[in-house]
Amino acid sequence: MRKINDETIWKLLRNILLVCGLTLILFPLYLVVINAFKTLDEAGRSFFAFPESLNTGNFTELFTNSNYWVFLRNSLKITVISVGMILILVPSVSYAVARNFEKRYYKTIYFYLLMGLFIPSQVIMLPVTKMMTKLNMLNHTGLIILYAAFSLTQGVFLFVNYIRGLPYEIEESAQIDGCSVFGTYVRIVLPLVKPMLSTLLIMDTLWIWNDFMLPLLMLNRTQEIWTLPLFQYNFKTEYSFNYTMAFTAYLLAMLPMLIIYCLGQKYIIKGLTAGSVKG
Amino acid sequence: MSKTTKWRMPGKAVYFAFTVIPVALYTFFYVVSVINGVKYSFTDWDGMSVDYGYVGFKNYMLLFKNPNFWNSLKTTLFYSCMLVAVVILASLLLSVSLNSLKWFKTFVKSIFFVPAMIGGVTIALIWDQLFYRVVPLIGQFLGIEWMSQSLLMTGKTALPAVVFVQAWQAVAMPTVIFIAGLQQIPEEQYESAKIDGATAFERFRYITMPYLLPTVTVNLVLTIKQGFTSFDFPYALTGGGPVRATEVIGILIYNDAFKNMRFSVANAEACILFIVVAVFSLTQLKLTAKGGVNE
Repeated sequence: MRKINDETIWKLLRNILLVCGLTLILFPLYLVVINAFKTLDEAGRSFFAFPESLNTGNFTELFTNSNYWVFLRNSLKITVISVGMILILVPSVSYAVARNFEKRYYKTIYFYLLMGLFIPSQVIMLPVTKMMTKLNMLNHTGLIILYAAFSLTQGVFLFVNYIRGLPYEIEESAQIDGCSVFGTYVRIVLPLVKPMLSTLLIMDTLWIWNDFMLPLLMLNRTQEIWTLPLFQYNFKTEYSFNYTMAFTAYLLAMLPMLIIYCLGQKYIIKGLTAGSVKG
Repeated sequence: MSKTTKWRMPGKAVYFAFTVIPVALYTFFYVVSVINGVKYSFTDWDGMSVDYGYVGFKNYMLLFKNPNFWNSLKTTLFYSCMLVAVVILASLLLSVSLNSLKWFKTFVKSIFFVPAMIGGVTIALIWDQLFYRVVPLIGQFLGIEWMSQSLLMTGKTALPAVVFVQAWQAVAMPTVIFIAGLQQIPEEQYESAKIDGATAFERFRYITMPYLLPTVTVNLVLTIKQGFTSFDFPYALTGGGPVRATEVIGILIYNDAFKNMRFSVANAEACILFIVVAVFSLTQLKLTAKGGVNE
């Protein structure tokens, strides 16, 4: 009997824990969603209840009176171009390093790029801002270049180890059959590293899309170049009294990522775990 | 042109070409920046003026005498310790619970992972509102005095409150990593332990724990690093206040550099953080090189 008791107590505790956890995650999000559809008056009267009617006034106001679409476009542009660059640069340099690891030049590059693992972002943020100011690159182009440069460490660390774990024989036979190094890379290596490519894609998309520190340092001058996180932060002071409006803004900022998450959550979780375990 | 189609770039050159752009980008924007940062820490530059002079270790000496700097280091340490304790404990409990679910396992797991999708600033701003509007209500309802006022406004509760918000997001990843570790445990071991009469706790202690140990170290290092370099959450929630109660080192560096016009001092602070993080990263590299977890 004792063992059965044990089991039921554990199951009970576990379910209580999970329900508490789910509440803690979902309740704040629930409050954001329902209050986004309320007027300030209505939220003042009933903060926790469902909205009486689906009031989309906050949304229309944000869409028309703020530069939401501009910020969304900025965020999209920066994320897509940066991640695109990363997906081209990281695998190719990793391939070169992984397949020439016995040569001194490539080994040096590997450890040189890996140095970044030891450097916290705060060390970079001050001097890089000064440098970009001097270069007159406090704009999207500058930010994109920085993302590409800063992503190399983690990306190369993941990819070199992964490629070195792949069997070399396939590439060798392709090259004997007359395939060039570049051809081998495109036709054989890239398809083989697909799982790592998706990890890199997910990791860096999330990082760049949600990043706050670099845009704060680089773009916090004129509204037209803000990204979504920067918009939300500055929105805090601008609309501090109108909090249902603020909730609408938060909802709209989260929405793109949450939609993507709903579509591919299995791959996203898998990709991110693979990245963080190795990195 | 017909010749160019036959001519082929030698393999060696292709490999070399692959490395040129990344190495150039990394050198110019990353390495040069770090070197500049170290250089600035030995100057008296305020970040704005045209010229500046070298002052040797003066900034470092001043920092070691500055109570605000020590206070900030202490705050950062407290912050990291609390974050690690909360995140590791919560993710451990969650992963064991989630892993033993029979129904809706994937679905529940995916809900617990949602916070990892949302940006730090968004989360901080949402909780900022909740601390102002919801938490005091709960405090009044339960009759808990310290919860009845805004937690972010009082010195004693502000730091744990910020830690709580960062933990709200930071639990997601370690939980999933723990689950990956748990799934490697062969089911038969539990079966035979059950037959031998081991209690649930004994099974956890002698079967689950040994399998989880490598993942624990990975998660520990991951979370410690997050704690030491925390910026988004305290910046958006409190900005370091009230009265420096939440001024972690990341905030101190930012404020000194861009608000207090002490650019060179801020760089010295960053260099000290650099040394601390480097020690932890070395440990991380050692651990992952040993092949901590799966794959």
